Amino acid sequence: MSLNADSANVAFTFKGGMLPMTVMELSSADPEHIRRQLAGKLSQSPAFFQHTPVVLSVEKLDEPHLALERICAVCRDHKLLPVAVRGGSEPVRQSAWALGLGWFAPVEEGRARSLESVSRTPEVAPVASSTQPDVESLEAPNAATRLFRGTVRSGQQVSASDGDLIVIGAVNAGAEVLAAGSIHVYGALRGRALAGIHGNTQAGIYCRELEAELISVAGNYKRLEDIDSQLLGCATEVHFIKEQLEIKPLS
Amino acid sequence: MAKIIVVTSGKGGVGKTTSAAAISTGLALRGKKTVVIDFDVGLRNLDLIMGCERRVVYDLVNVIQGEAGLNQALIRDKRVENLHILPASQTRDKDALTQEGVAEILEKLKEEFDFIICDSPAGIERGAQLAMYFADEAIVVTNPEVSSVRDSDRILGLLASKTRRAEQGGDPIKEHLLVTRYNPERVTTGDMLTLEDIREILSVHLLGLIPESEAVLRASNQGVPVTHDASSDAGQAYSDTVSRLLGEEIPLRFHEVQRKSLLSRMFGGNRR
Repeated sequence: MSLNADSANVAFTFKGGMLPMTVMELSSADPEHIRRQLAGKLSQSPAFFQHTPVVLSVEKLDEPHLALERICAVCRDHKLLPVAVRGGSEPVRQSAWALGLGWFAPVEEGRARSLESVSRTPEVAPVASSTQPDVESLEAPNAATRLFRGTVRSGQQVSASDGDLIVIGAVNAGAEVLAAGSIHVYGALRGRALAGIHGNTQAGIYCRELEAELISVAGNYKRLEDIDSQLLGCATEVHFIKEQLEIKPLS
Repeated sequence: MAKIIVVTSGKGGVGKTTSAAAISTGLALRGKKTVVIDFDVGLRNLDLIMGCERRVVYDLVNVIQGEAGLNQALIRDKRVENLHILPASQTRDKDALTQEGVAEILEKLKEEFDFIICDSPAGIERGAQLAMYFADEAIVVTNPEVSSVRDSDRILGLLASKTRRAEQGGDPIKEHLLVTRYNPERVTTGDMLTLEDIREILSVHLLGLIPESEAVLRASNQGVPVTHDASSDAGQAYSDTVSRLLGEEIPLRFHEVQRKSLLSRMFGGNRR
């Protein structure tokens, strides 16, 4: 009862929340090494570095003392905001607190997934190109466009890191297709499709049948839940217009 | 030339071992020299389904580790000629399997048998990957259920990337879909995915459809592969499946709701 009475003039309420968070897993403790890699990444995908909060994971490092202050400074120079540290020894924990950062206990192994695979050639790539070695050179309009023939299956990831991605087949639930440019799926899109992964807001997603778990253009995403159910199962196109994702039937 | 066929699914409990036992029995009944290998090290089940659990002395791991010869570990089936079983170890775990060891055993078996059926464990870890690694063909067992279809999809992806044929760039593994525990009544009421849905999502050649049947549970508990129960619907469906595996064209059965005839209703023709 008193809870209700007080609710009008409380200054805040605590709420549990699950927020998307980038974990920066350090495999080197050398701030200069980190700086060099960040500089490279910044030129590759500028859209990613916009005061993005990151958790510095030091679980893989085997050093009791870290130059945490310098590492944080390097991150801030590149518009990454370290908000917490995960793992590490007792001195690391103390210095995180001293720097005003939070500290998280290390996670069990095998839980975290590497975001690196976004830019790396995925595991399915060699299969696709080895079974049909001539397809890309014959049919692809330009070198950066990637053509994938067949079903992209659950757990598989197909990406075109420099251009458009064309899938002649379905993208099944649990699969992920990514492209720097647009994504064209000549089949059902049931998995995740992320276009414009380096920040190109002009990119679009086109599919014959929309059932996607998630669609994203330049980091702006919608989940299946957010999509108007009337559009599900239809041939659709997705664009980023007026600061939001627009999904409309392909006519 | 011996063919290595893996029976796999990703998800557990969909009928891999039942299918491996039934298909290998069916092949042997057609006169093909067949061996069925249990790759589920640590959760040995195939010998129970095949009804030879009391005759297991040595197992797959013993052979790989050189503690027994291959012929000592192979168990001859009592009911069908031409059929042998290579049981899994119950006391070890899947780390006891090595790729070199499996390769060596398969090479030896290839000299003697026409068909080598590998019964994969559930999951996508080491045991499952070793079971599929050397395969020429794969039978992906799927239930008409969303999670099973999703897992089968994952397995199909692994078959296309994590096998010897994929790595060496030869002909890809021939993939077959085997839908088990299909109940046309429940499909009609919307409780189960339809065969068309499954085929559309997985887009793989359909090898067979096994109806949900009391005969399967009975067969498992008796240790007699259901193929021997030729009067049962599941037994006939597995027999059709084996025929298709051998290249025959057989029309699909048991995928539609059966109208019970007046006679069978009167006399309770309940045996399925």
